[in-house]
Amino acid sequence: MTYRRPDAIFILLAAACLLAIFAAFDPRVTRERGLRDLLFVVDVTQSMNARDMVVDGRPASRLDYVKALLPALLSALPCGSRAGLAVFAERRSLTFIEPVEVCENFAPLTESISALTWRMAWEGDSFVAQAVYHALDRARTLGVDLVFLTDGHEAPPLPYSGIPAYPGDPGQVGGLILGVGGASPVPIPKHDDTGREIGFFEKDDVQQWPRRSNLPAADAAARPGYHPSSDLHGNVELSWREHLSALQAPYLQALGAATGLGYFGADLTADAFLAALARHTEPRRILAPVGMAWAPAALALALALFSYAVTVLDRRRRRLSS
Amino acid sequence: MLAFDRPWLLALLLCAVIPFVVRMLRSSGHPRLETTPTDPLSLSVDWGLKLTGAAAIVALVLGLAGLHRPGGTLERTGQGAHLVLLIDRSASMDNTFANRRPDGEEESKAAAARRLLLDFLETRLQDRIAVAAFSTSPMLFLPMTNRREAMRGAVSGIAEPGLSQTDVGRGLAMAFSLFEEESGTASRALLLVSDGAGVIAPDVQEFLRAEAARKASNLYWLYLRSEGSKGIFEPPAPNEIDSPQLRPERHLHLFLQRLGVPYRAFEAENPEAVAEAIEEIGTLERRPLIYRERLPRRDLDALAYGAAALFLAVLSFARLIERPLAAKVPRPMIAGPGGRR
Repeated sequence: MTYRRPDAIFILLAAACLLAIFAAFDPRVTRERGLRDLLFVVDVTQSMNARDMVVDGRPASRLDYVKALLPALLSALPCGSRAGLAVFAERRSLTFIEPVEVCENFAPLTESISALTWRMAWEGDSFVAQAVYHALDRARTLGVDLVFLTDGHEAPPLPYSGIPAYPGDPGQVGGLILGVGGASPVPIPKHDDTGREIGFFEKDDVQQWPRRSNLPAADAAARPGYHPSSDLHGNVELSWREHLSALQAPYLQALGAATGLGYFGADLTADAFLAALARHTEPRRILAPVGMAWAPAALALALALFSYAVTVLDRRRRRLSS
Repeated sequence: MLAFDRPWLLALLLCAVIPFVVRMLRSSGHPRLETTPTDPLSLSVDWGLKLTGAAAIVALVLGLAGLHRPGGTLERTGQGAHLVLLIDRSASMDNTFANRRPDGEEESKAAAARRLLLDFLETRLQDRIAVAAFSTSPMLFLPMTNRREAMRGAVSGIAEPGLSQTDVGRGLAMAFSLFEEESGTASRALLLVSDGAGVIAPDVQEFLRAEAARKASNLYWLYLRSEGSKGIFEPPAPNEIDSPQLRPERHLHLFLQRLGVPYRAFEAENPEAVAEAIEEIGTLERRPLIYRERLPRRDLDALAYGAAALFLAVLSFARLIERPLAAKVPRPMIAGPGGRR
């Protein structure tokens, strides 16, 4: 056999072969990835039973909406992120599951979410602001960011002095407040001792006047009914609408501004949620190896196909020249 | 079973037809094909090269499409139990066994329970475990699962300051409901950890009796006894009123004894006693059970690329050693006009 110089097709095939060998060694590059560590706190107070949301085209309570929303938000988080679950009632949050890796623990997390009910609330009060402050503190000790889902319904109503001052450091813990509920006030279902629904809360079933645990407002003396010894707060025009509930978006926005949390309506898509997180939380950056074997493999495939194309072209050229 | 990450790339498999249409080796002119002898060796080489080319393309496309064997579950038999941890989250759990606020030297009952239960989890690698808690209302922290990190996450939370009241009856009702209907041969155990008890309403008592009989679970009560409170085994003094309101712990113990399921109570007055009780429960609750082990996913794309490399090597080698039938047109023997040959 005589020596022949390797031709173009051989070179193409040999190069494809070498690239395939390279790809078989599973080359990886390390790339920085941003993960999120979040504590999800779900409002389970009674106003969350108000049915002004829609799930799968059917009317649903706010809590049911949250239970349908949370798995979607969890699955949007990149693997390696961690999520914890807590509920809010009274004036604090209670952690059910401290943050765990989302992908590996997706099943137990979503099962715990679907088991949430208003019956878990240990007291009937709904001090949203205090609960947000408590949840922020809890998230700080856990070293995670916060996602607080609520309708912002304070029961009993806020004192005259307005939102209680935030004792923490605004912005120290990042995160979001997601507002659940419709814009117009709707009645709140009422239940008896055994948990059966027995109608709606009426005007006289709930406290209509603001909390009076705080100091009276500065202008209390000018209010009708003020008395220096028997009524330090004075009367106030009551709206008599505290038994109805709507999403308190401006209030939650103000609460978010005071604590450094971003406010968004809970009707956001998974992508919008990730974008909101990007704006209001710092990611936990890790270096993760990313497989890149596809690049040499794709090139090898292209070269192999090209070698057949060259054969065709070559043959046609020779046929033309002969 | 095999699966793909990017199945749409499998459309590229159509390219595997090309080697059958386009011949890889050179074609040589032959004046009369009918005169060539049928050569089985040549034909098989020809087909072999076509197949090799197609195989190389298929292997590359399979690799690019992300061929893998998805992780599944494998049923195995081991030793363990289906376990429900029912934990008291009342505010008194935040105190130490000496009934004081924790001061750094002595941990609270909740912190001790958390630490010891986390240790306990490490010894129960094959159990399915659910975690529930109760104060004024029962709360499901974690449904029955085999994910260890989620269990640790749920048990870790119990050191957080507790809530107001202790409604142990409804807590027990929820705990019984957490056992799955199908648990095979595995033993079921309910571990109640509390530092107190409450009066159980008659209708809840009735529900519990029915539920306990149906779920047939072993029951353990780990009573964290604080200093100064009466023990659950202690009979009342002769002139003491013996009522559930005054001695709720003793009466809960009596009620659980009458529940009709195997029941043991442990009274622990310090963290060491808690550790002993938990260890004893651990040894009691070891029965054969079928558990599912999760198999990790296995990527097969590297394997596909390796195979493709092999096929491509064969092809390029064939191309290298290929010799045309006639390398050159032989020079004519007779010179043409003008003396050119």
